[in-house]
Amino acid sequence: MASAKGVLVDITRCIDCESCVVACRLYNGLDADTKGGAKPRQTGKNELAPNRWTVVRDNHVQKDGKTVRRFVKQQCFHCVEPACASACFARAIQKTPEGPVVYNEKLCVGCRYCMIACPFGILRFEWDKPFPRVLKCQMCLSRVADNQMPACASVCPTRAIVFGEREQIVQEANKRIAAKPGLYINQVYGAKEAGGTSWLYISDVPFEQLGFKTNVPEKPIPEYTWQVLKWTPGIFIGWGALLTGMYWYNKRRATVHNEEELYAPVDKK
Amino acid sequence: MKDSLCGTDKKEMTRRTFLKMAAGSGLLVGLAGALSGCAGQGGEHAGGEGWLPYQYNVAGNLPAQVRGRIPIDADNPSIVRDDQKCILCGQCLETCQNIQSVHGYYDLPVIDETICVHCGQCSMACPSGAISERDDTQKVFDALADKSKYVLVQTAPATRVALGEEFGLPPGTWVEGRQVAALKKLGFDAVLDTNFTADLTIMEEGTELIKRIKGEVKKPLPQFTSCSPGWIKFCEYFYPELLPNMSSCKSPQQMFGALAKTYYAKVKGIDPASIVSVSVMPCTAKKFEAQRPEMNDSAEYWKREGLRDVDVVLTTRELARMIKQKKIDFAALPEEKYDSLMGEETGAAIIFGATGGVMEAAARSAYFLITGNQPPPLFLNLTPVRGLTGVKEAAAEIPGVGTLRVAVCHGLANGRKVLDIVRAGNAPWHFIEFMACPGGCIAGGGQPRTAVPPTDAVREQRIAAIYKADASRPKRMSHDNAEVAALYKDFLQHPMSELSEELLHTEYHSRAEKLKRLFALVG
Ligand code: SF4
Ligand code: SF4
Ligand code: SF4
Repeated sequence: MASAKGVLVDITRCIDCESCVVACRLYNGLDADTKGGAKPRQTGKNELAPNRWTVVRDNHVQKDGKTVRRFVKQQCFHCVEPACASACFARAIQKTPEGPVVYNEKLCVGCRYCMIACPFGILRFEWDKPFPRVLKCQMCLSRVADNQMPACASVCPTRAIVFGEREQIVQEANKRIAAKPGLYINQVYGAKEAGGTSWLYISDVPFEQLGFKTNVPEKPIPEYTWQVLKWTPGIFIGWGALLTGMYWYNKRRATVHNEEELYAPVDKK
Repeated sequence: MKDSLCGTDKKEMTRRTFLKMAAGSGLLVGLAGALSGCAGQGGEHAGGEGWLPYQYNVAGNLPAQVRGRIPIDADNPSIVRDDQKCILCGQCLETCQNIQSVHGYYDLPVIDETICVHCGQCSMACPSGAISERDDTQKVFDALADKSKYVLVQTAPATRVALGEEFGLPPGTWVEGRQVAALKKLGFDAVLDTNFTADLTIMEEGTELIKRIKGEVKKPLPQFTSCSPGWIKFCEYFYPELLPNMSSCKSPQQMFGALAKTYYAKVKGIDPASIVSVSVMPCTAKKFEAQRPEMNDSAEYWKREGLRDVDVVLTTRELARMIKQKKIDFAALPEEKYDSLMGEETGAAIIFGATGGVMEAAARSAYFLITGNQPPPLFLNLTPVRGLTGVKEAAAEIPGVGTLRVAVCHGLANGRKVLDIVRAGNAPWHFIEFMACPGGCIAGGGQPRTAVPPTDAVREQRIAAIYKADASRPKRMSHDNAEVAALYKDFLQHPMSELSEELLHTEYHSRAEKLKRLFALVG
């Protein structure tokens, strides 16, 4: 069995060049946003979307009495025990032994179960397509299975993204924290969150100030999601109907406002 | 396929089969069956375990050689990037780090801004054209269409040896007259010359240098030139302790802007608030410079809020775009002349466009200002400071003061070498010229992208055109500029007068709190 890989994002080293974002788009053949010339920074389009599997969020936070900017690369965490996969009765999402949590659009029935299951709110639904998919980062599975780093990590000029065996990556994270205790806060995000994730983060400002969910349970989520949800088709149908309703509502609203609002039901600011 | 769909036919559950099933058996029944039925049989999901995630098809096209790129902030006033064009080749990063020594010379984490000196050299190196100047042409078209505005334009020394390249002329073609004609055709009310304030800069900066040498101005030597806004921001970021060495003179663009809305407005009887002051520059950093908050001395002068000395800065490339948009046949235009009052130039002003030019022009006039005599021929052909060597030195005898020692550098990585010597207290020089861009303004970040990446061959052709024009001018020294003399007589009185200090000089601000500088690259 292949050993599980992991990725460390060192928030203190990110300079917001968005090389990773472009690499992701090129590698995965995602459509560039045509409006605004695909300048996410300049158009404010830095929310995850079906064609943006990773984004770099710009945070203005207080540190030692001064406002500083911290950039957080966001993408699927690739949980060790992913709730999305376990919520998917169609088995359209699978955890691979190498680490990536991968989605298969051929199997997906479009029920959006995974979206409610994901504790991080990562998945994005193609609200505007006749056969919508639920899209997210695939952690460059074919590269990772070949022991190559994901596309984004391969272009990061400051080595803010580090790839390796998950266990080594956790060690590396702790090593960096120990080497500069004055810089980092003493937490590796993803070491325990949601039962552990393949993508881990270290930072010099508290994670909750950077938009990380800090109320994610440490017990792997699948242990209860599927157990609860699978026997309640009524809730399931209701949820689907609700989402569909919201879709039409939002679509109408979107024509009045702008297209961006299509993602409103799943994006939290 | 060995998938279990409720123990019936072993088939992969696809969206199609799911929808068929849902349609055929009623949504509720279908779903309930899929859910409870499958889960009941050994806890397997409807899709089964059988698909191989490795079949996931990568449709995209990540080039084989990829590297990271430089960060460009959304509010960078000078440069923008179109992510759709970026191929992650890393040329911009290479340029920013190796030629300009900006990227990689500050410690992480960043503080609160993206470090950039706005030189635009990355845009010259970008093979896909992803990085370009921030386009301000619409502002100018709007101003030209507004009949209540008096739109005047100044053109930098270096645009006239490169603009032609946008229209198929060979590098270094002298298009001064055609550039004036094109600007008049575009509808500018007055077409004036930054060369006028280049000569003025020499008068002010030369006087300042002499006062420093004589000890009349209590500021350290060597004096640094201050015409290149990319260089100034670099010094503010990385060598703030050397800012007292920086000449207090504004750049020619900003001197021009301050005079346009004071002197020019007064003499011509125009309300300064109706003037739109446009400049055409070979430089992206000039866009940043014009936006520096302190660059509003015309507002101070008139005690009127809201006046900016320079309203819009266009790069050479943007001017070319405007000419093309208006379908003006540039190459066929007749030669026209600059308008008067702020339109006269000397050879000394023209050479501002090349590395070493400011130094040579300053040396010519410093000789005159100190001795009262015209300089000997050596000063009209100061070859040691010409050419593309990264750091150049020269020494010249000036009767009464002795040997004037000067240095010239271009490209900020070269500047760094000189600055480290000054910082260590080992500088033998009196005066140092710094230009942010390799080759000087003729190869500025706003010039036509005739060769990508820029080549010395193109730089040399443009430089040759500059020195050829200088050699052919009847007046080759800034102190011979008659319009500058008139400006002093009628308005400013003399170099470094109180009014000159107010309008033509400025202060610099340490940006040390914006980064943790590093003096060498850490791998
Ligand atoms: S490539 Fe690296 S430095 Fe650039 S935005 Fe992504 S994580 Fe940050
Ligand atoms: S403009 Fe100059 S300093 Fe800014 S990113 Fe480009 S090369 Fe670097
Ligand atoms: S030089 Fe241009 S194409 Fe290459 S990485 Fe930089 S922005 Fe992208």
